[in-house]
Amino acid sequence: MEGFLPWQWCLVWWLIALPFIIVGVIELRSLLRKDREYLPLLGVSGAFIFILSALKLPSVTGSCSHPTGTGLSVMCFKPYITAVIGFIVLLFQALLLAHGGLSTLGANMDSMAIGGPIVGYGVYKLLKNTSINIYVTVFCVAAVADIVTYIITSFELALAYPAAVGGVMASFTAFFAIFAITQIPLSIIEGLVLALVFKYIIQLKPDLIEKLGVFSKKQIESALGATTGVPLEKV
Amino acid sequence: MFENRKLEILTLIGLFAFVVLFLIVSGQSGHEFSGSDDVGSQEIATLTGRPVASFTPLIPQYVPPSPEIESTLFALQATFGGVVVGLVIGYWLGQKKRINNA
Repeated sequence: MEGFLPWQWCLVWWLIALPFIIVGVIELRSLLRKDREYLPLLGVSGAFIFILSALKLPSVTGSCSHPTGTGLSVMCFKPYITAVIGFIVLLFQALLLAHGGLSTLGANMDSMAIGGPIVGYGVYKLLKNTSINIYVTVFCVAAVADIVTYIITSFELALAYPAAVGGVMASFTAFFAIFAITQIPLSIIEGLVLALVFKYIIQLKPDLIEKLGVFSKKQIESALGATTGVPLEKV
Repeated sequence: MFENRKLEILTLIGLFAFVVLFLIVSGQSGHEFSGSDDVGSQEIATLTGRPVASFTPLIPQYVPPSPEIESTLFALQATFGGVVVGLVIGYWLGQKKRINNA
């Protein structure tokens, strides 16, 4: 929504986003220098952000919005690297699609590439060491990262455009109704799809997920045992 | 045979419910299914009392000249993602096959 944010706010959101991008690029370089084996997984997590954020889906409110796909990346590679991948996707959409713009890129990064994923990561940290099935964890992380993205968008717009009556909270409620309510069914679908994708990833590359410390060997084995019925060595 | 496919079935049910929900909502009148960004822009116009058209980009930007071209670019974005996913899954499958055969 280029042009809809006053430049002062654009600057604020850019300044918040920049450190994440810088740290993310540094982390990304050191990760790939350590082990090239992570590159394919990085590609898959990034690719789902590309795919899902290109799909504008209809929702209950009678308008359309797109999922974000950031849940997978934030679990495997943590928030900083996710911020870099999100930045690339948003830059593509800003430059070629007039979907967002360069001035609002900071604000869009803060919601989709940084804020949503960080809250999703918090959910992951909370559920990681519990006995909850890891697919349920993936579902929750992906769905939360998605919905929080749009709650932050609503908040960013509310700060820039407080209502004459009721101020920031009143316009937050209005934007929330537009963006976040639309997003509820979408985030559920996103959570299901990414949980399924995660299942296929651990079927093919359980060692990679274990090495990154996303889930413990025991958790992966019990999830694989439940879905395939054979021990890990034979999968 | 469906014991190992719980997640797949659940996802299909979810997608089915999503489509049914869409059909119900689109059956009611008054829904245009425009982007929530556009609805949000309308809301800003209402809040500020300025028409939507008066908001011009701060930084000049390329705008796809028609919805057709825009949808092509979005499809291109999704295709790029799809190619990468397929490539990596194929690479992993090949890797696993080699290890299993060795």
